[in-house]
Amino acid sequence: MPNQTTIALAVLAALALVAPAAAAPPATTPLALSTDEQLALAPDVAVGPGGEIAVLWLAKGNPESAAAKAAEADRAKHGHTHLSSMNLYVAVSKDGGASFGAPLRVNREDNEVWGFAVSRPRVAYGPGGTLHIAYPANETQPQLGKPVLTARYTRSTDGGASFEVPRRLSTVTDADLAQVIHGGFASVAAFGTMGVAPNGDVHLVWIDTRDMKSGADNASIYGVVSHDDGRTFTQDRVEAAGGVCPCCQLSLAFDADSRPWLGSRLVTPDGVRASTVARADGVDGSFGTRVSTGGAPWKIDGCPLKPTVLAVRGDTVYTAVHNGAEDPPGVLLAVSRNGGASFEAAYPAHPGAQVSDAPAIALAGGDRAVVAWHAKADGPRRIFYRTLDAAGQPLDAPSTLTSGDETAQHPALASRHDGRVQIAWQQGDLIYTAIIGPAE
Amino acid sequence: MRRRDFLAACGALIAQQMTHADDRGIALVSAGGLRSALDAERGKVVVLNLWATWCVPCLREIPDLVRIERELAPQVVLIGVAMDEPDERESRVAPFHAKYFPDFRSYLRSERELDAIASVVDPAWNEVLPTTYLLGRDGRVVRRIQGAKSHEEFRALIAAAL
Repeated sequence: MPNQTTIALAVLAALALVAPAAAAPPATTPLALSTDEQLALAPDVAVGPGGEIAVLWLAKGNPESAAAKAAEADRAKHGHTHLSSMNLYVAVSKDGGASFGAPLRVNREDNEVWGFAVSRPRVAYGPGGTLHIAYPANETQPQLGKPVLTARYTRSTDGGASFEVPRRLSTVTDADLAQVIHGGFASVAAFGTMGVAPNGDVHLVWIDTRDMKSGADNASIYGVVSHDDGRTFTQDRVEAAGGVCPCCQLSLAFDADSRPWLGSRLVTPDGVRASTVARADGVDGSFGTRVSTGGAPWKIDGCPLKPTVLAVRGDTVYTAVHNGAEDPPGVLLAVSRNGGASFEAAYPAHPGAQVSDAPAIALAGGDRAVVAWHAKADGPRRIFYRTLDAAGQPLDAPSTLTSGDETAQHPALASRHDGRVQIAWQQGDLIYTAIIGPAE
Repeated sequence: MRRRDFLAACGALIAQQMTHADDRGIALVSAGGLRSALDAERGKVVVLNLWATWCVPCLREIPDLVRIERELAPQVVLIGVAMDEPDERESRVAPFHAKYFPDFRSYLRSERELDAIASVVDPAWNEVLPTTYLLGRDGRVVRRIQGAKSHEEFRALIAAAL
């Protein structure tokens, strides 16, 4: 594709920051998917039933680009401006990630997407090849005349060539929390996620402030489900009432029985922001007890902005989360081998790093999993990853995917059919993708 | 003009340029500009507060920090850096700052990378807000505080740094 740049980033050998393990197989050469016309961030990635790959990202115009300067001149001439927000782009590969088609803008209205790296839009394929996308959007509550954030959804049934008009899936109530939320929003449905179960059900969950009465309250989790490949969705309902950290993005994974598993951060009565996992095992599909994944109690009256990510295989639940109470603060890995009833002792993903953050996790071939994160070890932020065995123990030392002086951050992962893992990340102002992890 | 005065004037001019200072209350600041602003306060205890308009706990503690600065002046100086998006200055951050915290000396980051501005004082910042750093009279960080604290808690922590 003409705007795709193949870059010659050196793929470094495994950094022997922890002793025992062997190096992971090398990553493929990274591909740049966005262009320098954009300031791109917050990627997500999905692998389809036929091996197709979709990478989604947020972008706004690069103010230094010729196009942006022309637009700015036009704005100055006509005296209007937009609220500062984002657009959403997707690029699709139909050859297993060797090349990608030109990026396509997903949203219809300019700058309607609200988001950043820790409230990133989500992309997932259904078993029939439908491409599903969810994102938080800027809207105005008509009665109040105040801004709100809503949960939006769209899909492509033609392989990513076109998308339906995005639909709002969260209910906009008359709640006016502008004085509580400050940022000026009357209500917020954001920090959500989406996933498609093996049976094709499309699940969306998000953090919702509609039930908050004061700044001291925490948020709730609301959600919807589609049983017909995204044509229709259920009415949104409470999935977890209160006690949810209002700024820690949710995550979903599914087991072979298509039951959703939720990663979220619980705020305990004494103020600990506990990373938790819950399985949807109620008769009505509701989530059960949220079980802590362990680590030092992180008591903080603040905005951690840290998701709990997970992957599920049978009774094994792999999790990764940043814990600010560790010394140094960093990503902890923890595994449950009893179906999420309890977790074994959490351990640091990257011993020796100054700080590690933003983990992502995906299943890989051979009963393994791959976890990736960004960290500062001996320079700027870089992307690191390692392979975990069936028991959740590391098979290799952290390997870095990137080099040089440019900051690389916020990886996203998706399981490939060849047993390896597709990774996407932000480097500088561009989005890259590559293939990592063990060969089948 | 004496040489020292000349250098001080040059330093102030450079700092002003690096922080894009103007009369609208909250100036953009680069990593270099923040470094210069902190250097200019050597000899005092600096309370550097990273906040954002969307961070409710941040907004709760700012009035207490402003009050403490007033109580402990001139030994203690409060400097804020809003971690909102740089291009939201006109639309959101400056009006918000002017409405709620006009007495809070704060900049808005000009760097896209959150990490760039925080790395001036803490290369291992984990992007949690609010984060407050206490810098001793020699300009070195003596304490990192994460999460909102009360007036009494801040007073005790700052007193220990004096």
